[in-house]
Amino acid sequence: MISRVADHCFWVGRYIERAESTARLLQVTRALAFDAELPPLHCWRPLMIVSGQFPEFSAHFGADAAGNGDIVQRYMTWAPENPVSISTSVRSAREGARSIREVLGHEIWQATNELYLWFASEEAGAVYVHDRDEVYRNIRRGTQLCLGLVRSTMLHDEPMDFLWLGVLLERIGQTARILDMHHHIQGAADAPQTLLQTALWLSLLRACSGFEAFMRREQGRVSREAAVSFLLFEARFPRSLRYCVRSALALSQRLDVNIDSEPWEGSEPPAKGSARQSQASPTRTHGKGAVTAARTRLDALDRWLDTQEAKDIPLTVHALLTHVIDEASTACQELQAGVEGATTVAARIQKQEAAQ
Amino acid sequence: MLTIEPSAPPDQLFAGYQPIAGTYDELVEQGGRTRDHARVVANILANMTPDTFARSQALAELALAQKGVTFSVYSDQRGTEKVMPVCLVPRVIAAAEWARLERGLVQRLTALQLFLDDLYGEQRVLADRVVPAELVLASRQYVPRLRGLKPPGGVRIHIAGVDLIRSPDGVMRVLEDNLRTPSGVSYVIENRLVTKRMFPTALERLGVRRVDDYPIQLVEMLRSVSPVDPEKSTVVVLTPGPFNSAYFEHSFLARSMGIELVEASDLFVTGDEVFVRTTTGPRRVHVIYRRTDDAFIDQEFFRPDSMLGVPGLMRAWAAGKVALANAPGNGVADDKAIYPFVPDLVRYYLGEEPLIEQVPTQVCARRADCQYVLEHLDQLVVKAVDEAGGYGMLMGPQASAAELEEFRARIVADPRKYIAQHRIELSTCPTWIAADRRLEPRRIDLRPYVVTGKDGSWVMPGGLTRVALRAGSYVVNSSQGGGSKDTWVQADAAS
Repeated sequence: MISRVADHCFWVGRYIERAESTARLLQVTRALAFDAELPPLHCWRPLMIVSGQFPEFSAHFGADAAGNGDIVQRYMTWAPENPVSISTSVRSAREGARSIREVLGHEIWQATNELYLWFASEEAGAVYVHDRDEVYRNIRRGTQLCLGLVRSTMLHDEPMDFLWLGVLLERIGQTARILDMHHHIQGAADAPQTLLQTALWLSLLRACSGFEAFMRREQGRVSREAAVSFLLFEARFPRSLRYCVRSALALSQRLDVNIDSEPWEGSEPPAKGSARQSQASPTRTHGKGAVTAARTRLDALDRWLDTQEAKDIPLTVHALLTHVIDEASTACQELQAGVEGATTVAARIQKQEAAQ
Repeated sequence: MLTIEPSAPPDQLFAGYQPIAGTYDELVEQGGRTRDHARVVANILANMTPDTFARSQALAELALAQKGVTFSVYSDQRGTEKVMPVCLVPRVIAAAEWARLERGLVQRLTALQLFLDDLYGEQRVLADRVVPAELVLASRQYVPRLRGLKPPGGVRIHIAGVDLIRSPDGVMRVLEDNLRTPSGVSYVIENRLVTKRMFPTALERLGVRRVDDYPIQLVEMLRSVSPVDPEKSTVVVLTPGPFNSAYFEHSFLARSMGIELVEASDLFVTGDEVFVRTTTGPRRVHVIYRRTDDAFIDQEFFRPDSMLGVPGLMRAWAAGKVALANAPGNGVADDKAIYPFVPDLVRYYLGEEPLIEQVPTQVCARRADCQYVLEHLDQLVVKAVDEAGGYGMLMGPQASAAELEEFRARIVADPRKYIAQHRIELSTCPTWIAADRRLEPRRIDLRPYVVTGKDGSWVMPGGLTRVALRAGSYVVNSSQGGGSKDTWVQADAAS
């Protein structure tokens, strides 16, 4: 698989997942704000904080703007200058898909393109004004269609593995951020009442598409402990951190094995003379493939989650989430560096060749 | 006395359609009678109203936009994409005429391939004075450094897209041989998918030949010229990247052939062999269908400032380690300066008369021709031989006196640089004009695609029919207001 293509696959997965997650979070937060039990600032500012864009947002619109749901939603939905807006994610997913159209196949490409075209259309703008929920629903439907097609039409092979790894690593970050919203709401001046606490937890569960699954597991008993443990550790729930980390680990193990065990492809050795072959051999050494570093980190993160679950007094949820977000983000960087690294090794061989 | 106007009801799409006087219409004869082979199409149109047609047309355009069947516009730095305009009224070609065209195209391309082999080899053709040596050797497209090199697999013109036009006498003529990186074939296949949806039964009734096996033919051909066992060969499509105007097509072809689409930075050359960078390390490449122009493919060999090249690629090609389709250096054979001599090349190399006509052309390098051109400047289309895309061109009948004088001076100063042709009244086809909600005659051309491998040539039945959508226009280029139509080639005369 071409290294550039692997990188694109990874990012297409991340952007699609990010667009869906952002749409869902906006939709749920909007519903929460409508209940009017929390002041708007307590609904929307935490969302801005976990998005990572709060400083830029405040600098542009003023610190009070985070209490204005319309400004926040417009910024998170449409702003092209916002790197995590739905608009940016959809456009980037589509740009990425366009340059690997031949790898994704026409159905996935077309689903991505149709989503992009609809979102950029005047119609979407009009719907946003009159029926905003429908915009968020359409984004979610569109992205879910894309991801569904990925699993049901692509070869379950390297390109899909890279794409899905992007989805899972993005999802780890998104779930962790949504859960962390609670910390920031709590941190606000007047902490909410118990009744409101329940509403808040249900809202966060909805933002992770986990409401029904959670209620089934707990048979309707809502508590902070149960909600946190569900979103962190429930291995059967596909958006929990435990599930995402384990699945990402499994994918990276599969990729790592495939990438390491394959000999030179093609019918002939890479170059004449054994000296040159040995120059190329660093890429072949077992345990040093493009995804090895990311795999090792995910492995450690998975074990770390185990120890946290077993502890009687775990870290604060906020500290735990911060660690998970940092580790997932580093794994992303390592993965990218690894994929580029394969390219770098090839470039080095080429340079040495030229020097001779 | 009461008279009843014989005008057809306004809700009939095809009512009142009239060909342009003095021009061949592909569907209707001058008297208004439908051409026999196109009757099925005329019947479909007769049964449609402007409303139903407009609806189909809108659906077709939406489908193409959603599929991302686009080309990029260069004038825009961000590479804005536009959907190739399509007109649903197809252009029909009778089986017998197509059979003649096929033979003519293969014959012409065979001669051009022999010409290239000769030119980059012994140069008998120059010694025998079939083509003036000074004309060929002065061509910017001639690459002297390629002399003595043979392409792996022996083929040079793997993919040709020959532009044909039909003159008022009904004769199809070659206007231009595109032997470098002709584009447009993806639109042919996409257009067919659209017409299939809109006119499902017509294709069947008429027995239209399929076009969707092009990618299979193409990849078989590419494998056939591999320097190693075709079954063990890696074939890739090389694109300049997503901002190239034909990027859609590069991606389309790679996808439908099931092979990798690569950019220059994905490839590197070591030990005269070409490799692609993969997640599992370098992998040897044997055949490259490259959609990057000669000038940019290798900064070691051609332009050193190219950002789209693979350093050393030409070295690998010269060493016979990688096949490039099309071969470098082909441009000299589709040069405007060589065009007037192609019928002579057919006679010289094959000992046959050309089976396909071309447009009579004056070569200003010849004294008598030059005299004629200067005397008839206001009636001729004059083209500079080393310019393309409508630059350095004089449209005599539309030019001002000042423009004519300016060109006259240029021709006198350097006659070898110019050729001239009478303007051909391109044939027309009924075309949907959305603003007027009716069909009007618009001028068209035809670009059939010929794929040539080790074992011979295959002509795609049909090709890209391009249409000048503006009234009175002769320019069919998509960059200048042109659109396309589906081309229906009948399976055989009986059906």
